[in-house]
Amino acid sequence: MRFERKITNRGRRGLVAGAALLVLCPLGLAIASRVLSLGGERPPPLLERPAAEHERCIKDTPYMRFHHMDLLKELRDAGVRGGAKREVSLASCKGCHTSRAQFCDRCHDRVNLTPDCFGCHDYQ
Amino acid sequence: MNRRNFLTAAGGTILLGGAGAYGMVLIATPAPGGLMSPRPPSTRRWGMVIDLNKCRPDCTKCLQACRTENNVAFHGDKRWDIHWIRKVTVRSKHSQSSLQRTVLLMCNHCDHPPCAQVCPVQATYKRDDGIVLVDHHRCIGCRYCVMSCPYNARYFNFRENPDWPNRDYPKRSHGVAESCNFCAHLIDRGELPACVTTCQRIGVGAIAVGDLNDPQSEVSRLIDESAPKRIREDLGTEPKVYYVGL
Repeated sequence: MRFERKITNRGRRGLVAGAALLVLCPLGLAIASRVLSLGGERPPPLLERPAAEHERCIKDTPYMRFHHMDLLKELRDAGVRGGAKREVSLASCKGCHTSRAQFCDRCHDRVNLTPDCFGCHDYQ
Repeated sequence: MNRRNFLTAAGGTILLGGAGAYGMVLIATPAPGGLMSPRPPSTRRWGMVIDLNKCRPDCTKCLQACRTENNVAFHGDKRWDIHWIRKVTVRSKHSQSSLQRTVLLMCNHCDHPPCAQVCPVQATYKRDDGIVLVDHHRCIGCRYCVMSCPYNARYFNFRENPDWPNRDYPKRSHGVAESCNFCAHLIDRGELPACVTTCQRIGVGAIAVGDLNDPQSEVSRLIDESAPKRIREDLGTEPKVYYVGL
């Protein structure tokens, strides 16, 4: 009998306070809004599509979407340090994705990123 | 076929193949009137010869051309200004002599570059063809290279450069060191550096850039003919900028 605990009035009050805290914290709010579908999901950023003749990128879209920064770094190191010919670089992205404001910045702004590339490399 | 014959034949094949490959490179980069070397890129050694007898004391065309080509920052304040080429007047130490010379000073692209030796992150490095470069992605801005350069050729970007005249060439963000790179991006395309082009265009032709390893090149010919001097040869850094008439 010593280890048995009854849910007292005080305990119940604690549970209610805990639930309220969970709902009020940002994570709780996010979960609650998702569950109750309040506000809904933000639409994905609208990106400028390249012209029809430039439909193919050097890698497939899912790879480029998540790993283009790795690819650019790899190419950068090969070009700057490895002495490789810089056939593909940030400048060659401009051939198809002509506008930085309508392509690069749309996603970078969405995820609150400011890449260092554009401070020195021109991409209008 | 014994071992000796086999090796001779194999060596000959490799030599022929190599010659063929180099021939293709030569045809692929004709660059009329530009910069050419018959040697494969990694065995070249770019150097510069400046004829101070031709260089006019009042002319700063090469400095301006360098600034425009390479987006070299000019704030109008000597604390922040960056100079890839400087023009200084030197006088003879002997008080009787009134000898004066206007000398172009820039990165000497040393064969043993102190800047590259002291760089803690190996951002400054020497390419196979002898050009000393800064990898600005890697530079942490410690300014050790600025301290170590015996020619005071290194500058530090204390401020962001407000101008960007040549959009095809990157500028440098604040917090990195920089110096002349012999216009490596132009040399790789088979073109002459901006200062050399400008000096030739205005009809002075005081600066020459070429392959020191190629005995037929203009710089090799000038060095053979006029026995030029280098600055602070005693330091053993083996600079590759030669001065005629210093």
